[in-house]
Amino acid sequence: MKRIVLILATCIAAIAPAIAASPKSAGTSAGVYTQAQASEGSRVYAVRCAMCHGGTLSGTVETPGLTGKFMANWAGRPVADLYDYLARAMPQPAPGSLSPQDNARLVAFLLEANGAPAGKAPLPADSAALRRIILQPVRPR
Amino acid sequence: MAFTSTRGPSSGRRTVLKGALGSVGALALSGRTFAAEPGAAPGMIQPGVKPHLTPMRVSLDQLIDMKCCIRPLRAAGPNLGTQMVGDRLVVHNYGHGGSGWSLSWGSAEVAVGKALSVLPESVAVVGCGIVGLTSAVVAQRAGLKVTIYARELLQRTRSFRASGSFTPSSRIALNGPAGPQFPEQWEQMARFSWKMFRTFLGLPGKPVEFSDSYGVSYTPMERRQWPADPAIGGSWETTGLPQQNSEFAHLDSRIRDIVPQSVNLSPEENPFDTPFATRSSHMHFNFPAYGHMLLTEFFERGGRFVMRNFHSPAEFADLPEKVIIHSTGYAAKDLWRDDTMIPVRGQTAWLVPQPEANYTLRFKNMSLLSKADGIVLMNNNPDLGDMLGVGDTNEIPNRAPFEEALAALAPIFAPLANRNARS
Repeated sequence: MKRIVLILATCIAAIAPAIAASPKSAGTSAGVYTQAQASEGSRVYAVRCAMCHGGTLSGTVETPGLTGKFMANWAGRPVADLYDYLARAMPQPAPGSLSPQDNARLVAFLLEANGAPAGKAPLPADSAALRRIILQPVRPR
Repeated sequence: MAFTSTRGPSSGRRTVLKGALGSVGALALSGRTFAAEPGAAPGMIQPGVKPHLTPMRVSLDQLIDMKCCIRPLRAAGPNLGTQMVGDRLVVHNYGHGGSGWSLSWGSAEVAVGKALSVLPESVAVVGCGIVGLTSAVVAQRAGLKVTIYARELLQRTRSFRASGSFTPSSRIALNGPAGPQFPEQWEQMARFSWKMFRTFLGLPGKPVEFSDSYGVSYTPMERRQWPADPAIGGSWETTGLPQQNSEFAHLDSRIRDIVPQSVNLSPEENPFDTPFATRSSHMHFNFPAYGHMLLTEFFERGGRFVMRNFHSPAEFADLPEKVIIHSTGYAAKDLWRDDTMIPVRGQTAWLVPQPEANYTLRFKNMSLLSKADGIVLMNNNPDLGDMLGVGDTNEIPNRAPFEEALAALAPIFAPLANRNARS
């Protein structure tokens, strides 16, 4: 039993640094959006996204949820992938209709909903800049 | 004609069927049905006699689901071309409009054939809708090791939001961009698929089955024609969207020699007592059994599923497989930036399954198709034809047309109910 506990502890110790915030990294765990921006994003979400993805981001059988499995689909990639996709393909009934600012607010809201911490500077509405920020997974609460 | 046998001498068959019902009921209770259900009409049809039909329960309390999805119409028809991404050969197999289920086997045969031509030992299939999954199984049957990379398994893809009947030229292409060679290619895929579907008839759970489809009317029935309207100036070529019905390819007549056509019913044969009626035999797919069957074969043959979301075609070069069959359906519009993909919205409502009412009713622009997982209700605007839903990417179901259809269809069943009450 002790051995199992030891192995588990070792595993957690090995994984933890990868999940925890790594300071000054070009990753979302460093705090790459502001709380105000995420709050604005929640309002954009309520108007433009919630009709399909649900008020709690849970999705449906047919519409993807925006937490949990969402991270498996987007983590490890530049935030620009998500930002560009939203700009091109969302909201599905009117793709391409989000302003760059609203799109950045939405991404901030989604980062917050997926456990990434807020920081001091807002997320830029700029695909090139977002290409340098990696969306990092966060251990679920 | 093989199908005329369904109308053949059957005076003794009704008794036989009734006698068999006891054992069928027992099997059904165990969750497995191996023989015809009580309402399986084909064996009961006699010329000059009204078939005994169980009325469908057409009321709001029976509503169990509403589904909406985008048909992936591609202007030139399905993309079955190839291209290189890095050193990976990508074989496309997407853009089947409202005909993905119906053409799945024939289309997979073409795509897998191209993949095989470079002698791979394994292939990747990107996408797990009906076209992707069928491509995977066809590749396995050719001896290849297959990994599917997709966001979802079949049951959560757009394919599962179809109505699921054999409609091989539904929004399959536009005449102009498809070109003169397309009808021949389509016919080959449609005939191939048709024969493959026959290999699933009668299997446990009825993944594929035939049922009778009744069209009823209070006025003489005519097949609606959509001649080109010269008053409509634009077209897909000038606007990026089709502007009228005559732009759509209608190819079903090419396979009418094997696919059952409608016959007129005399008043003595019409169970609905409307002045005009037709009957045809129609093939449909029962999603739960079909999906289970195909996935079972895929995994039993050693198939592997990897949940993966692709953000750009460049990521295909990261896959370990050197040959990739790309079957992402409507998602190809964004993933592959295929601007010739045209969304065509469609929606269905589903009523509680009623296996004893195993037939289809069509009245005006509405239809009820009885399937294993429910009765599919559709209410399509008759004045729009193929243009209905074109350019519409909204996938939220609209309940109102279903409620209207239920109200309009309920009275059609009154003669059946009255006759059953008397007998």
